[in-house]
Amino acid sequence: MEDQLLGRAGPTRWLRLLVRGAFVTVTGGALLAVVALVAMTIGPALLLQIDTPAFQAWRTVFVAITVQGLPFLLFGTLISAAISVFVPASLFDRLLPRKPALAVPVAGAAGMVLPGCECASVPVAGSLMRRGVTPAAALAFLLSAPAINPIVLVATSVAFPGNPEMVLARLIASLAVSMVMGWLWIALGRPEWLRIPKPAAGAGHGGQATASRAGRWEQFRQAVQHDFLHAGGFLVVGAMAAATFNIVVPQSALDAVSGSVWLSVLLLALLAVVLAVCSEADAFVAASLTGFSPTAKLAFMVVGPMVDVKLVALQAGTFGRAFAVRFSAVTFAVAVLCSALVGWWLL
Amino acid sequence: MRRRFEVLLLLLAGAAVLRISLFSELYLRYVKPGLRPLLIATGALLVLLGLVAAVREAIGYARGRRDAYQDAGHEEGHSPHAGHEWVHPPHAGHEEGHSEDAVHERGHAHSHGPRVGWLLYLPAVLLLLFAPPALGSYTASREAARAAQGAGTFPALPDTNPLPLTVREFSSRAVYDTGKSLKDRTVLLTGFVSPSDGGDEGTWYLSRLVVGCCAADAQVFKVEIHGATALDADTWVTVTGVWRPTGAPGSEAAEPALDASAVRKIHEPSNPYDDAAPAADGS
Repeated sequence: MEDQLLGRAGPTRWLRLLVRGAFVTVTGGALLAVVALVAMTIGPALLLQIDTPAFQAWRTVFVAITVQGLPFLLFGTLISAAISVFVPASLFDRLLPRKPALAVPVAGAAGMVLPGCECASVPVAGSLMRRGVTPAAALAFLLSAPAINPIVLVATSVAFPGNPEMVLARLIASLAVSMVMGWLWIALGRPEWLRIPKPAAGAGHGGQATASRAGRWEQFRQAVQHDFLHAGGFLVVGAMAAATFNIVVPQSALDAVSGSVWLSVLLLALLAVVLAVCSEADAFVAASLTGFSPTAKLAFMVVGPMVDVKLVALQAGTFGRAFAVRFSAVTFAVAVLCSALVGWWLL
Repeated sequence: MRRRFEVLLLLLAGAAVLRISLFSELYLRYVKPGLRPLLIATGALLVLLGLVAAVREAIGYARGRRDAYQDAGHEEGHSPHAGHEWVHPPHAGHEEGHSEDAVHERGHAHSHGPRVGWLLYLPAVLLLLFAPPALGSYTASREAARAAQGAGTFPALPDTNPLPLTVREFSSRAVYDTGKSLKDRTVLLTGFVSPSDGGDEGTWYLSRLVVGCCAADAQVFKVEIHGATALDADTWVTVTGVWRPTGAPGSEAAEPALDASAVRKIHEPSNPYDDAAPAADGS
């Protein structure tokens, strides 16, 4: 691309481009500096008017969830772009059983190898579907990856010292939910609900001609940029919702309900949805919810990585709203049921 | 989102992440210390992505302008030496606007990135200009005092006097220790001031927030302080005092409480969520 450009352009053109670039950079930079200066002088005074302690805490929690999610989101988009661009589709054909019903458990168990939390798994599942992996298997992977990877299991065992059956229960219940959901998708899912994400390369500038000529690395870069900004925007939506619930629902308000066994399971499952704590940290939160039964804590840890406000926002952005709403609602029900059963059996 | 705003966003987001992780320890207000290398890598990668995108964008822009110029009926522009005329189309005057449109159509077909990405400007600008403070007394005063679980006896305490303890350890011993290891011990605790929730006059809480992963999962530990006037909320202090028993260990009435003999202001620690015991000399 550059060669072609150079071939046609004389040195004068490059000089002009350089001058123009320098001009844009300098004026743009100066403009930004002015905006920043004005914002920094007026901003605090303006904020003071609405700066209640609650709003302050909201801002901190909002920023915290975003900062916490960004590295994993970027990691997820890197993996997903790499799968889309560098991994041949035939690899997945060879690795996964041909029958979707058999591919589901294999993909679910494969969730063990993606070290990260739920922010990373959504783009990766999207790119798997793009690569022709059957949606049911990709969905099983989407659900299991953030719940059963080694980092999360180690965190769980640290949070519940001397209580290894909690780790086992989490592993079994999460795997069970992801497989049941994969099979349910085979049985009941309709393709029109699911919007399989289009390759991001088409979003590149320069139109068709460039896209076909551009190297793989350029495709990779464009895919990362597109997916990151896309998913990042939805991460912000989710972080706002989670921060709002975090400020509105004090933990102590829950202690009142902790008496009833079944109600408490449901309550902690709902709490996992609205708090949207990262799956690497939710075990510590669960352990801190004293007064709740182990089964209720298990439900919190099984539901959290699979359904929460941040994830619903991310899924709606990646797979479409019609899918995210149906899928999350059913997953929630299956997850509560599975954790109740596994809790009754093991805990 | 237009490409140029995407480039700016990538650069700003990268700079914001680097500002709180590489150039300061502000990230400790939001996430656990272990995330630092990941944050630095994320910030660096975002800046790199932004720079590469900027260069690509500049090249694409230049090409787009030239193509637009050629499309406007200057097919001879394909000859190797005509390219340099691109900024001087003969009818540059009133046709300029049209020419810009053509650039947009050709060079930027499909170039509108995800619109939801605009929202990322919010945390990026917030972090760059007004990094929010760590959670403090507001969060602490909304939760009841908690103590780590586990009734029973605890290992014996060292003989140091006064004895520095973490707020968490003091709380669990105060609430659950049937062996009453805290009895008559003078202890040193560090935390921030949070106001009493309207109970006894003249008491306040020495509070600590402990974070597992990010500030959203902060847990509250707090000790009720008797016999010292309360300082402003969110002031960091080291308190010297003696344990005040409130009820049988493990019972509802058992709450961590302390009769203070001295309260000293200290600087906010760089990691406000790390429940560390004060140094033995109280600093």
